[in-house]
Amino acid sequence: MLYRRQNTYKIYQIIIVILGLILTSPFAKICVAKEKLIISAIPDQNPEKLNRLYSTLADELSNNLQIKVIYKPVINYQAAVSAFRTGSLDLVWFGGLTGVQARIQRPGSIVIAQRDIDSKFHSIFIANHKSGIKPISNLNGLKVLKGKRFTFGSESSTSGRLMPQHYLTKAKLKLSDFKGGVAGFSGSHDATIALVKSGSYDSGVLNEQVWEERLAQGRVDLKKVYPIWRTPPYVDYHWLAQPNLDKHLGKGFTRKLTNTFLSYDKSNPRQKIILELFGARSFVKAYAYQYEAIEDIGRKLGKIR
Amino acid sequence: MAVIIGNLHLGGLNTLFRFFISSFTPSLNSQVLQSAWNGLQVTFGFAILAWSLSLFLGVLLGLLGSYNLCSFFNISPVIATVIRRTLTVPRAIHEVLWGLLILQICGLSPWIALVAMTIPYTAHMARVFSEQIDNISLKELIAIKLTGSRNLESLITAITPKIIPIIATFGFYRLECAVRGATLLGIFGLGGIGTELQLSLMSLQFNQMWTSLWMLFISLFLLEKAIEWIQQPKFYINNTGVYTITFISSLIFSILISLLLLNYLGINFFEGLHFTPIHPPNFYRFIEAFKSLNWVQLILDTLILTFVASCIAIGLPPLIFMNVHSNIGQGIVSIILILLRLMPAPLVIILLLLSTTPSTSVVALALGLQNLGVLGRILRDNINKQGDQLFNSVLSTGATNSNAWLYGRFIQESISYLSYSIYRTDIILRETIVVGAVGGVGLGWQLQESLSSFAWEEVILISIVFVCITLIGESINEQMQKALLGIKRTNQFSMLKI
Repeated sequence: MLYRRQNTYKIYQIIIVILGLILTSPFAKICVAKEKLIISAIPDQNPEKLNRLYSTLADELSNNLQIKVIYKPVINYQAAVSAFRTGSLDLVWFGGLTGVQARIQRPGSIVIAQRDIDSKFHSIFIANHKSGIKPISNLNGLKVLKGKRFTFGSESSTSGRLMPQHYLTKAKLKLSDFKGGVAGFSGSHDATIALVKSGSYDSGVLNEQVWEERLAQGRVDLKKVYPIWRTPPYVDYHWLAQPNLDKHLGKGFTRKLTNTFLSYDKSNPRQKIILELFGARSFVKAYAYQYEAIEDIGRKLGKIR
Repeated sequence: MAVIIGNLHLGGLNTLFRFFISSFTPSLNSQVLQSAWNGLQVTFGFAILAWSLSLFLGVLLGLLGSYNLCSFFNISPVIATVIRRTLTVPRAIHEVLWGLLILQICGLSPWIALVAMTIPYTAHMARVFSEQIDNISLKELIAIKLTGSRNLESLITAITPKIIPIIATFGFYRLECAVRGATLLGIFGLGGIGTELQLSLMSLQFNQMWTSLWMLFISLFLLEKAIEWIQQPKFYINNTGVYTITFISSLIFSILISLLLLNYLGINFFEGLHFTPIHPPNFYRFIEAFKSLNWVQLILDTLILTFVASCIAIGLPPLIFMNVHSNIGQGIVSIILILLRLMPAPLVIILLLLSTTPSTSVVALALGLQNLGVLGRILRDNINKQGDQLFNSVLSTGATNSNAWLYGRFIQESISYLSYSIYRTDIILRETIVVGAVGGVGLGWQLQESLSSFAWEEVILISIVFVCITLIGESINEQMQKALLGIKRTNQFSMLKI
């Protein structure tokens, strides 16, 4: 009996040692960790496209910058902002609002670049054919949405929530004016189309780029759901980098990073894929001051405190 | 329910049809398959780690929080009460919120994801264990103690055979919850099958969604069968020692495998710890936040939502089982229950919304259906473990199948089913966080809105309200249990004092 007990003890000792080794093995990796750039993006694509987009981009960036590039799929807007704040992510593809939120929480962050379409971005209001809502010609026409069921996209979306709410407010429409006293949050641009098309909501609003893409793919039935108004232009998505990349990854790294994005060209096959997946012709220089209006609106609507 | 039926419309039928038809044509694109498969492994790896950690801590805290053991060791029951009440805090707060809070301070690290998953699971298990331990009779314990053995030894001897069946029923079922709950991983950029699901839901790519849903379905189905096999009473009755040792060794073995697997998949556990302090909001902002929200409306909405969802989740399973007797019928029910469990609530809400107009009932139904999957499974598992004598004898009196089921099977399980149902109500309460698509409903929605504005003072206040509601619910529940069972307990220990 005693012998058996000793044996069991030995087995447990061995198991504990193995467990310890496994638990500490990642430390060994830290010591030899090479320089790397961790990138992420606010998700608004389907998984297959997202996988293709970011594995291609990581490869291409790694090739351009001669550095290891890792893509982390952070799928929650707030989590992406918080992870940027703690410095866990080096370079993030943010929307207008989330980018401003991230810059406020991480002072000194650098706006790197945006797509050609981002400097003049639009949202599009859509309506269901049974709602009786007619296309409108100006901002004040939004008043027809009073008493209708209305849905935004995601809470933190610039094109699916912030800017549309700003224009609704300008047209003197409060969220409590909608049927049911609230607006819905479908969660994504595609869900907005589906829910307005089904008639669950009379009207909704989404990112114009997504709308155009779905139209081109033939996924929208214009008889059932049609655009009623396009917002004036505003700035949206951009690449935002940590303030201290030059210190960690070598002097001039941030500039090199910016230039790499600006140099992406459709004549290069891999860069062509990246630009197409981003829905852009090219990346252009972006500046923090472009987003001041977004910050103001964010503060007015309580999305930035 | 009536509201939903009253507002039915046909506008979304073709989208709904597309969703169901896509189940036959899941995307077989190699990239989709590869990433879903990777996701599944990551999810299982983390689920096993979080589950074993929370099982260990849950049993420990469950013992500490049990009144039975307090009186056994002559410790004031105040300690058990304090432990129980403290554990309300982690339980009342959704794991996504824990994840976001810890992420704020520690950055993206797999360790943090694990901690965030473990916190609410531990608290939940601790509560179930402490209550179940309080419900067992401690005659053996008292008898062993009277033989003069030391406290700890008699405790281990007497308690282990009692705890093992609880672990075998409740503990294992939590493993499945951990797998389903691992959507949290997406917040930490770790991927997982939940990430795949959420992304395909956002883009309404049903074919890609079904690739993940099928994979999850098959693995949950296999897991369920495996758990059913492990749970057979013949393994642990009269055989507790071997069962415990086997259980602990296989637990350690699966932890090792999970760690190796995650390491192989490129998840480095110690990476990315970036400690960044947060500045707590000042008092003035709390006052401001307190004034700005319509608390009465929010709390009322939340309570109604939780109540209706709980009624659906708790009331329907006995009705279903009462009326379905054939083997084929039960097989279909069991598949439907798995489907209900594996579909994320936001997906169900969108699907429901495709054919009805937005209202609180839609959210309640979605939450209710998901939890119906869980409770239905627990009820079926417990009933499957019964013997057939009572059922057969009721049947032989000439009762119908349904009546025989009710009096011969359900009656034996009703108390434990109801107590599991009460734990479930807690979970439904904190899951009201997912109600976004309908908009403006209750505290859960407000919490999302405050989080996306980084209004921490509001987040803290709302969390406090969640904790308070849970606390009040818990003490009402305890008072009720005391009224029913309390007398028995005092009797047991007055014997020991003599």
